[in-house]
Amino acid sequence: MSERARWLTERERETAEDDFERDLHTEHQVLNMGPSHPATHGTVKFLVELDGESVVDLDVQVGYLHRGFEKECESGSWYQCIPYTDRLNYNSAILANVGFCMAVEKLLELEVPQRGQWLRVLGSELARLSDHLTRCGAACLELQAMTPFLYGIEARELTWDLLEGLCGARVTSNYVRIGGLRHDMPEGFPSWCRETIAKIRGLLRDFDRVVTGNRIFIDRLRGTGALGRDELIAYGVTGPLLRAAGVAHDLRKAEPYLVYDEIDFDIPIGEVGDNYDRYLVCVEEMQQSLRIAEQCLERLEALGPGPVDVADPRVRWPAKGRVFNHMEEMIQQFKAVTEGPRVPAGEAYLAIESANGELGFYLVSDGTERPVKVRCRPPSLINLAPFPQMVRGGLLADLIPTFDFINMIGGECDR
Amino acid sequence: MEDHGSPVLRRLIDVHAAAVEATHARFGDVTACVQRAHLARVLCFLRDDPECGFEMLVDLCAVDYLEQGRTPRFEVVYHLLSLASGRRLRIRAGVPEDDCTVDSVVELWPAADWMEREVWDLYGIRFDGHPDLRRLLLYEEFEGHPLRKDYPKERRQPIVGPGSAGG
Amino acid sequence: MPGSVIQVKRKENLGLLERLYLPMILKGLAVTTGHFFRNLRGFATGKRRDFVVQYPEERVDHADAFRGMPVLVALDDGEPRCVACGLCEYACPSRCIHIVPGELPDRGIERWPRVFDIDMSRCMFCGLCEEACPEEAIVMSREVEISTYTRKSLVWTKEDLLMAPDLLKRRLDFVRAEYDRTPDLPDGQD
Repeated sequence: MSERARWLTERERETAEDDFERDLHTEHQVLNMGPSHPATHGTVKFLVELDGESVVDLDVQVGYLHRGFEKECESGSWYQCIPYTDRLNYNSAILANVGFCMAVEKLLELEVPQRGQWLRVLGSELARLSDHLTRCGAACLELQAMTPFLYGIEARELTWDLLEGLCGARVTSNYVRIGGLRHDMPEGFPSWCRETIAKIRGLLRDFDRVVTGNRIFIDRLRGTGALGRDELIAYGVTGPLLRAAGVAHDLRKAEPYLVYDEIDFDIPIGEVGDNYDRYLVCVEEMQQSLRIAEQCLERLEALGPGPVDVADPRVRWPAKGRVFNHMEEMIQQFKAVTEGPRVPAGEAYLAIESANGELGFYLVSDGTERPVKVRCRPPSLINLAPFPQMVRGGLLADLIPTFDFINMIGGECDR
Repeated sequence: MEDHGSPVLRRLIDVHAAAVEATHARFGDVTACVQRAHLARVLCFLRDDPECGFEMLVDLCAVDYLEQGRTPRFEVVYHLLSLASGRRLRIRAGVPEDDCTVDSVVELWPAADWMEREVWDLYGIRFDGHPDLRRLLLYEEFEGHPLRKDYPKERRQPIVGPGSAGG
Repeated sequence: MPGSVIQVKRKENLGLLERLYLPMILKGLAVTTGHFFRNLRGFATGKRRDFVVQYPEERVDHADAFRGMPVLVALDDGEPRCVACGLCEYACPSRCIHIVPGELPDRGIERWPRVFDIDMSRCMFCGLCEEACPEEAIVMSREVEISTYTRKSLVWTKEDLLMAPDLLKRRLDFVRAEYDRTPDLPDGQD
């Protein structure tokens, strides 16, 4: 203001200052965003207290998509929980499948054959890729850049085509089973996958060319929504959000599960933890996911045909060909379906690195066919909790991209 | 008390011997069952002690053991993680049905804010000292706590809001 | 363990081209224009490379593994293969299948589904019924278009669900490929 004030005369300046200093009696405005707001993908409601355009305070109200995941799981058999885990994070359903089944396998002390493990990693990385594509694509959409969003969605469609070929459904995969997988990958899948990966790389390059060097994009992301690493840790935030703040914590490296210790990949980390870092980390993670997927394909071809699940009659249903013709297997099939696996009594917590952070399953069994407790540690919900801290003092327009980078998925957040 | 080869558990038993009721490390998950009265003190120790250094509260949930006939009926479960050492620790504490309260740990980890609200919402366990113990996932007019085992799955709740008869 | 931690490259100091706005916008425009002309050429030459499907004139050809809505496989005489054992009812997580068994003594069939309803508004296409079925009587078809005007008509009865096996060939082939997948169990574990 001082620059312009010099142009005024002394007397005018005094009045002008008076005007600025006079109490205009402004009030904070409370704005209701959501539950169905086009900018909040996912049903969530914000009560934003605004001073002009800057956010003074924020109350996040979640739960609009609560479907009683845990209650449903606790009233069915262990087997019947698997389709419900698809519906947690519907951008990367396989990750939740893998997490749940691995937690049950931990209770049963089962080891899945190599081929099954590599296929699980392949599915997980494709799912992670589609999740990050949605996040980065939608972030551009929030910043009024429509085209990169379409490139991101096109790449996601290609990924989902692959997942459909692998699992039978684009979104709700229901692919992983306790002790293995529903079925092996189809014939010719590796070459199809490689073709698609090349296409996705091309789309990611175009995506990068359109936005990454663009000053408007950088200016909108840099310095917004930042939160320091100590606060993030105190809030239990994990995943790309934590890595963007410079903490190299990735469960695939920190506590390698499946075959991640045999795979060569890097963990990208940021510096300050603002939206710009989050964007760059996600973009780099997509490249790493493609790298992992290629290594999986190589390994799967080298392994050759083999079993994808354990030969343990406690968890695997008998081969269908024998069910039709043999009394013994027929009885076994009836027992397997009506009772389901009996999981030994005990408790286990197993966490995997999902696209949003640590996706954990805490299971309690009392030795019967029904779980006592199926607790899902939802990264979306826990990452959303410090959202008010991230946006307080910032502009309303920056709230939306920040929310996007948290990548709250309603199904997982509200369960 | 057995420490199952875990230095963290050893340290906890040495310092808070009276608080720890039992330990186990099945499936590699190091677990300590702690008396409810000492819970907040033990968790504070685990966060601040340099040898433990559990700076992250990963998860907080409750379990209802009604069908197993266990007393106390509920249990709150804390999962802690130390980023520096990569160690994990599970802390469990029984909560009786007639006195469903636990001391809040929001002061220690702000992450507990929403997690405690969720446990209150779904299990009806109160957290003493929580600054704002509202329901998290369900709405204020909801009756009962749905993850309790005696809450029937089929029970329907009245719809509230602008479109309903009452509102 | 191979692999390491890498630091992402933040652009703290923008170059002259970036500070001038326009060059980078033009670069972005070059990319989008390139896409436009490639799509246009695809249209002209008949080798389309855009991603849009002109539904309903065009349909997506789903993969072999695709799971659509569950249907009942019909025998040659038009009756269901189903023997009303109720395993799918058990396996269904959302409890959307309702079976009432009956008997057809005049045709020598001891057990047969008098009623077989699937509530499509609850069905989530998970395919557990197909996995449970010991008769290959219920399979996931390739149909997904089940929208109606009323909720009542989302309950599909036996007559609606019956489908001739030649229409389901692709799925049946897929299911049959899995017949001998599970390795033989070690002795004495049955």
